[in-house]
Amino acid sequence: MSGSSRRDFLKTSALIGAGITGLSISSAKAAPKNILSENRMGVLVDTTVCIGCRQCEWACKEAHDLPAGNIASYENREVFYNMRRPSENALTVVNQYSAGKGSDLPVDVKVQCMHCDHPACVSACIVGALSKEENGSVIWDTDKCIGCRYCMVACPFQIPAFQYNKALDPKIMKCDFCFERTKEGKLPACVEICPVEALTYGPRTELISIAKDRIKRDPDRYIDHIYGEKEAGGTAWMYLGNQEFAKLDFPEPGDKPAVGVSESIQHGIFAYFVPPVSLYALLGGIMWINKHRKSSDEEEK
Amino acid sequence: MMKNILTLILFFALYVSLIAQQSPKKNYSKLNINCKTCHTCDVPTKTDPCLVTCPRDKMTTVYQSADKTPETIVLDQLVNSYGPVYFPHKAHAQMAEMGGGCESCHHHNTSGPILKCSSCHETSRKRGDIGIPDLKAAYHRLCIDCHREWSHNVSCNTCHVPKKDLKNVKDEKAQKKYYSKNYPIILEPSKIVFKTNYEKGNLVTFYHNEHNNKFGLTCTSCHKNESCATCHDLSKNSNTKEKTITVTKSNSDNHKKCSSCHQIENNCSMCHQDKVAEPFNHGKQTGWALNRFHINLSCAACHGEKLPYKKLDTKCISCHKNWNNETFKHSITGLQLNEIHSQLSCEDCHTNNNYSAKTTCNGCHDNYSFPKQVPGKIVGKLN
Repeated sequence: MSGSSRRDFLKTSALIGAGITGLSISSAKAAPKNILSENRMGVLVDTTVCIGCRQCEWACKEAHDLPAGNIASYENREVFYNMRRPSENALTVVNQYSAGKGSDLPVDVKVQCMHCDHPACVSACIVGALSKEENGSVIWDTDKCIGCRYCMVACPFQIPAFQYNKALDPKIMKCDFCFERTKEGKLPACVEICPVEALTYGPRTELISIAKDRIKRDPDRYIDHIYGEKEAGGTAWMYLGNQEFAKLDFPEPGDKPAVGVSESIQHGIFAYFVPPVSLYALLGGIMWINKHRKSSDEEEK
Repeated sequence: MMKNILTLILFFALYVSLIAQQSPKKNYSKLNINCKTCHTCDVPTKTDPCLVTCPRDKMTTVYQSADKTPETIVLDQLVNSYGPVYFPHKAHAQMAEMGGGCESCHHHNTSGPILKCSSCHETSRKRGDIGIPDLKAAYHRLCIDCHREWSHNVSCNTCHVPKKDLKNVKDEKAQKKYYSKNYPIILEPSKIVFKTNYEKGNLVTFYHNEHNNKFGLTCTSCHKNESCATCHDLSKNSNTKEKTITVTKSNSDNHKKCSSCHQIENNCSMCHQDKVAEPFNHGKQTGWALNRFHINLSCAACHGEKLPYKKLDTKCISCHKNWNNETFKHSITGLQLNEIHSQLSCEDCHTNNNYSAKTTCNGCHDNYSFPKQVPGKIVGKLN
């Protein structure tokens, strides 16, 4: 009796398993848009050139319909006393650090989404709301987003922010590489306003060769490292600096795409549905043993 | 026969033309001349050799002296929400002479005429060659690094006048005045005490202004390749006439500035002392106090340019070689000689050419003495 029921249970679970595997294959066909174009664009941020005027912060808010305030108020240097992070109200911020080699001037670092070549957020998004576009930008579809905030956890640079204080329709907020502006042929707002062109917008491959050229021509000014060339598998935004990037609060995500981490966790949990099936099988087994023991106990009585 | 001659002539003509084509040409690329001396572009071709304009002595080059450069340059190519920038060129050129010279701004310029910034830096940010910054960035990068060193801010209004404010300041003169409010005062300390780690005398007192005046020095005599903020700094109090600096730089760096004029080897005590030194006093240090005329002279005026200075005696005639009773205006000593005395020779009263000693009247007069009796009229303070 019990033998046949176990066979039945295994049969059903195998059927369910096969069904779900089939489902997961079909959903893989509707995987998020994740294009890695040859001609994808990028931005080279030269932190040795940046003067910390914070006009990019203002321009970014203007371009994204966030309350920006008066541009003159951005001349305030006191904000540099505290380290700031991009938030739902400011998609990019500039922080100031002490001087590096070859200069007595402080170093200013603009922080925003790095627009990874292998974005972990895109991979982590369970509804495919995030996508890596052909022009290199990582953008998200507010209509699809369900607010699970997996992207926030997945991001190796801790960039996506969430409108926590919005009760209705809160959104994930992050730099979108001015997707709408660049589509119209305009430059990203921050690149356009930068008075010293610390931000250079162009094809990523060209930017890398420009960066290498700058390091070669002026080895006293730069350290021999392009942050973002290889970090997290490569990013669209890349940085030049005159001191170790760890000192400038840049994370060290390693050269492998962060996707590997988040996907291995997610895929590890659900890989071919074996772990869940085996878990249920184990639980089922325990249940069956317990039940069997109970009934044999009763029989003994 | 004729055919043979013709063939010979033909061969000769061919040979000559071949030789002519192969005539040795100077290979300029192998000569020890910078390509940019004659060519303005990186890759001169036969069709476009991009030669510089000549004659070179009639054009403005990067080897120009600062004083010969334009006073002001109006930068108005990118006028947008701000008015044109009136750039005080000569003042900056003079400052540049303390460092990299003209080429600190006119970089990558040929030795030919000064190129416009816009000949390399494009006016649009959306452009083909993103390796070179655009014009706006090029201007700002040149200015802002020095300017924020001393101003400690990156405010646009330091150099730019918003167009809406321009209505009130129409003429150039008024505009210049508008800018001058932002000029930093040159911090010229009169006295600097250096705290050093030299055991036998850790204090070096340097009288900055005195040194400049006495030795006829200009800023560039000592200050080269320094941060602008050394002399200009808005955050520092301009009234600080005295300051103390704890020396941290290496030994040779510290001595370099002094040793260019002073013999410093085995002469440490000249500068290194236990206490803060008094300013130089000619009377105390040499035993011959300077009068009101000598005090205003530079050291070199009497002692000559060459260091160490030659010692002088106290005789006036040693320096004032052309002085005699006719050329010397005695009234500047405060005593105007009367007609009789003015015809005497100097030594008649000032015996042994010693003008600091008491004069004698005994040569002519009995029982006369100065200043009891005066050989003329007192017209000022005697000295």
